[in-house]
Amino acid sequence: MKHRSSLFVLLVVALLLSVSAVSAQDAVTIRYVLWDTNQLPAYQQCADAFTAANPDITVSIEQLGWDDYWTAITTGFISGDAPDVFTNHLAKYPEFVALEQLVDLQPLVERDGVATDIYYPGLAELWSKDGARYGLPKDWDTIAVVYNSDLLAAAGVDPAVMADWTWTPEDGGSFLETIAALTLDANGNNGLSPDFDKTNVVQYGFVPDTMGGAYGQTQWSALAVSTGWTFNNGVWGDEYYYDDPRFIDTVQFWADLALEYGYAPSFEEVTSLGSSTLFQAGNIAMTMNGSWMIGTFLSSEFPVGFGRLPAGPEGRKSMFNGLADSIWVGTPHLEESWSWVKFLGSADCQNIIGASGVVFPAIPEAAGMAQQMRADAGVDVSAFVDQANEDGGTFLFPIADYAGEISTIMNEAMDAIGLGISKAADVLPAANAEINDLF
Amino acid sequence: MSAISQSSFKPTESAMEPKRFNWNNIIIWVLLGILMFVTIFPFYWVLRTALNDPTAIFGHASDLLPYNPTLFNFQRVLGMIDPTTFVGEGASNISAGSINFWIFLRNSFLYAGVVMIGQSLFSSMAAYAFARFKFPFRDQIFFIYLTGLMIPGIVLFIPNYVFIRQLGWIGTFQGLIAPSMLMTPFAVFFMRQFFISLNRDLEEAALLDGSTYFGVFWRISLPLMRGPLLTLALLTFIGTWNEYLWPFLVARDENLRVLTVALNIFKSQTPQGAPDWTGLMAGTVVSIVPTILLFIFFGRRVVDSIQFSGFK
Amino acid sequence: MAAIRVTASPLVKPSLMSRIGNNQALLGYLFILPSLIGFIAFFAVPAIRSIFISFQEWNLLTDAKYVGLENYQELFADDRFWRSLQITVTYVLWNIPLQTVLALGIALLMERISNSPLLRGLLILPWLMPNVIVAMLFVWLLDPTLGLINIFLQNIGVGQQGFFGDPNQAIASIAGVNIWRHMGYTAILIYAGLKTIPKSLYEAARVDGANGLVQFLRITLPLLRPVLVFVMVTSVIGSFQIFDTIAVATEGGPAGATRTIIVYIYEQVFERRINMGMATAASVVLFLILVSVTIVQIRSFRGNQSDLADYS
Repeated sequence: MKHRSSLFVLLVVALLLSVSAVSAQDAVTIRYVLWDTNQLPAYQQCADAFTAANPDITVSIEQLGWDDYWTAITTGFISGDAPDVFTNHLAKYPEFVALEQLVDLQPLVERDGVATDIYYPGLAELWSKDGARYGLPKDWDTIAVVYNSDLLAAAGVDPAVMADWTWTPEDGGSFLETIAALTLDANGNNGLSPDFDKTNVVQYGFVPDTMGGAYGQTQWSALAVSTGWTFNNGVWGDEYYYDDPRFIDTVQFWADLALEYGYAPSFEEVTSLGSSTLFQAGNIAMTMNGSWMIGTFLSSEFPVGFGRLPAGPEGRKSMFNGLADSIWVGTPHLEESWSWVKFLGSADCQNIIGASGVVFPAIPEAAGMAQQMRADAGVDVSAFVDQANEDGGTFLFPIADYAGEISTIMNEAMDAIGLGISKAADVLPAANAEINDLF
Repeated sequence: MSAISQSSFKPTESAMEPKRFNWNNIIIWVLLGILMFVTIFPFYWVLRTALNDPTAIFGHASDLLPYNPTLFNFQRVLGMIDPTTFVGEGASNISAGSINFWIFLRNSFLYAGVVMIGQSLFSSMAAYAFARFKFPFRDQIFFIYLTGLMIPGIVLFIPNYVFIRQLGWIGTFQGLIAPSMLMTPFAVFFMRQFFISLNRDLEEAALLDGSTYFGVFWRISLPLMRGPLLTLALLTFIGTWNEYLWPFLVARDENLRVLTVALNIFKSQTPQGAPDWTGLMAGTVVSIVPTILLFIFFGRRVVDSIQFSGFK
Repeated sequence: MAAIRVTASPLVKPSLMSRIGNNQALLGYLFILPSLIGFIAFFAVPAIRSIFISFQEWNLLTDAKYVGLENYQELFADDRFWRSLQITVTYVLWNIPLQTVLALGIALLMERISNSPLLRGLLILPWLMPNVIVAMLFVWLLDPTLGLINIFLQNIGVGQQGFFGDPNQAIASIAGVNIWRHMGYTAILIYAGLKTIPKSLYEAARVDGANGLVQFLRITLPLLRPVLVFVMVTSVIGSFQIFDTIAVATEGGPAGATRTIIVYIYEQVFERRINMGMATAASVVLFLILVSVTIVQIRSFRGNQSDLADYS
C-alpha cells in the first residue's frame, strides 16, 4: 500500500525530469521581433532574401502584440534572453540606452561605410546620441486627417477645403468651422446653427484620438507645433515647455472640442474602444491619425479619404516619427545581427516592404512604392507623403530621458483636462515643473 | 439575502407548508433567471462576435445578432485559410495570424494536466501533514507557507524567470511547469481547511486496526476528501489553462506555446490599433470549449463524490 | 482518485515502511518535502532576495548599490504611492463584500437545486474565460457609445455611463467585472464546504423547532467557518493584487484613478528603467499590509478550528 504510492510519486517526478529540452541548431539563427502582424509577411520576404544572399544565417521572426512586446523585451534583457535584433520605438529607446542594452552601431557604420543619408532627412539622426548610433531607420509615419466621404458628401462639404483650411488656438479657424458644419443634433441642426443642441448630438464632426498624454502624436501635437511651440529644448532635451501659453491654449482647444463646443464625443467615450473604432462605427465625420493606421481605416464599411492637416499660424506641421532596428548588446552573434540590420536598412529590403504598401519605408524611393501601391488600389495617401516631403512640414518626435515618468505625469494632467475636471491653465504649469525637476 | 437563506434550509420535500414553498420557489427561479442571464449573456456576445463579418464589426457594434454571419473567423483562427489571401488588402483589423490549434491544444493540456496532478498531490500531502501529524515547527512552517500567499506575484515572477533561465530551462517544458508543479500556498491552504474539518473517528479506528499513518492517509483520508480534491484539481487545471504571463515569457516556441499565448496574435498589434475582435472572439471560443467540456464532465464527478464522501 | 490506485508491488520491505509510516515527525517532514522544495525555490528565496533589493538601487543589469532606507523614504514621499494604496483599498471594499455575499447566496441556491450539474457548469463559465479576454470583452460591453450595456441603460432612462472612462466609476467597474468572473468560482468553493455539513444536524435542529434563519445562523455559518475563512483570506489577498483587468481596461487611468498598488509596482519596473529598489520596497509594504489583514481576518474568524468536531 505505502510503496505503491511512493512509486507513483517517483514515477511522476521521473517522468517530469525526463522531458528534455529542444536541441540547439547548427547554423547561426538570428532572432528578430516585431509587433505588427500585418508587416510580418513582408519582413518574412526580406528574411528569405537575406538568407538567400547569406546561406549560413537564418532569421527567425517572432511577432508579439504591442502591449506584450515591451514586457518581453525588458524581461529578455534581465534574463539574458532578449532577441538579437528588434524593432525599436523612439519613446522606448532612450530607456534602453540608459540601461546600456543597445549596441552602438556607429563604429560598424563607419567600418563598413554604410550610407546613412539615403533616408528621409532627420530619421537617422533620431537614433543618435553623443556620437553613438542605436538603430538604422526602417520606416516613418506622419499624421493626416481621415474623413468619412459619405458624411462629407451628405453635409455638402467638399474634401477640397482641406487643401487650404486653417487653424488658430483662439477661434479654431476654418478647421473648427468645417467640424461644426459636419456635426448634427437630433433636430437636424448643424454645429454652425444658433439652434444647435450640443446635449443631443447624433453625428459628430470630429473625434480626437484621446488626450494624447505627453506627446500628443496623433492628437494636439500637429496643432500645438503649428503655433511655433516646441516640446523642449531640442533632441535629448532637458527642459520642457508644457507651461507655454500657446501649448496651454492648444490643449484647452483640443479638450473643448467635446467639452465646450460639443462637436466631438467626450473623453470618456473615446478612451474605451478608441477613436478609430468610434470613427469606423460610421457616425463621425473626421479624425486625425497616423499613417500606420491607413490599412485599418480602409477596412471601414464606408469610403474613407485622407486630407491635409489644417495650417496653423506657422504652417502645417506633423510629427515625424520613425522606427528603427536595434541590436541587443547581449547577442552572441553580433556580426550576423549587424548584417541583418544592414540588410533591413538597405534598399533591397525596404523596396520589398514598400511594394507591400503596409508602411512607408525610410528610403524615399521605397516610400514612393508604397504610395504607388495604394494609388493603384485607388487610395490617395498623398496627405501623409506630401507632409513628409514638404519643407518644414514635419517636426521630430521629442526624444528624451525619463519618458516613463513624463508620461505618467502628463497622462494624469491631460486626462483631467479632457474630463473637464481641470483647466489646462491650472494643471499644466505644475505638471511641467514636476517634469523639469526630473532632470 | 434572507429570502434565499431561509428557503435554502427548508426541507426539500414539499410536504409541509405548500403555499410558502411555492412562493419561495418563485423567488428562487427569478433570482436564478437573472443570475443565469447575467452569467451567460457575455458568452453569447463572444459567440455573436465570433460569427460576425470581420469587415463589418464596428458599424454593427451593438447588433444583437451576428451581422452577415460567417465561419470565416473560425476558419482563419484554426489555420484553415491561408492568411496571404486576405492580408495585404489593407484590412489591418484582421490579423494575419492563425492558431496551430491542435498543437497548442496539446500543449495546454500537457501544461495544465501535469501541473494539476503535481500540485494537487504534493499540496494534499503537505496539507494532510499540517492537519494531522505532530512534528517540530509544524505550525511555524504552515504559517510561513501562508505568508507565501501574500507575496505579491509581481515580485516573484522576475526572480523566478531569472532562476529558470539560470537552470537553462527557458523554452522547455520543465521551465514552464516548475514554479507551480510542487505547490502553491493556495492549494495547501485549501486542502488543509478540508482536512481539519474531517472527522477523525474513521482514521483513529483504522490506526487501532494496525494501519500506518501513510496507509490511513492514502486509503481513508484522501478518498474521503475526493470531493475537495477533485475540486482543487479542477480549479488548478483551469487556473493553469488560463495562465498567460508565465507561459508567454517561458514558452513562446511553437512546440510549447499554449492557447492563451496563441490568442495574443489577435490583440492590438499597433499602439492605437483596435484588436481583431472577430478573430479574438473566435479564438476565445475555441480555447474555452475544452475547459467547458471538462467542467461539464468532471463538475458532475466533483459533486457526486462530495455527496458520497461518508459524512452521513 | 481511482486512477491513482495502481496494483501493489512488493518491492519495498513492509517492516521498514511501517516503521517510517508510524513515526509522525519523520512522516510529517516526508509529506511536506516536495512542497517545501517548491516553496523554497519559487517563493521563499525570491521573496527574501526582494527584501534585500529593497535596500538597493538596482536595475538587475548593472551593479547594485546599497542605499539603506532611501527607497522607502522616496516611496513614502511619493503622493502617487499613497494614492495607489487608497485606490487599492477602495477596490477591495467594492470587490470583496459584494462578491462574498453573492457567492454565498449562489452556493445556497445551488445546494437547494443540487441535481443540476449543468447549472453549476454554467455558473462557473465566467471563470473559464481568461481574465485578459474578460477585460477586453467588458471594455466593449461597457463602452459609452457602442457598448450594449450602455445602450440598454440609455433605453431604460438611466443615461449614458462612463464606466472605465469615468474616474469616479472606473474602480467600481473593474470590481464589477471581477465579481462577474469570480462569483461562480467562489460559490463552488463555498458549496464544497456546504456539502461537508452533515444533514443530520439540520434534521436535529428541525426537530428542535429551529426555523431556516436560525439554522443558517447556528449551523451553516459556524460550520462553514473553515471554508469561509479560506475564501475570505484568499480572495482578499487576490483582490489587493488586482492587475490584469486594469492593465487591459484602463492602464491605470483615467487620470490615475485605477493606479492600484500593483500597477504602481509594475510601472516602477517597466516604465522607470527597471527600478527594482522602489518596486521591491513597495512590494514589502504591500506584503506587510497583507499579513496584517490576514492575521486580523483569521483572528476574527477563529478559522483554525472547525466546530464540526463539537457536533460529532
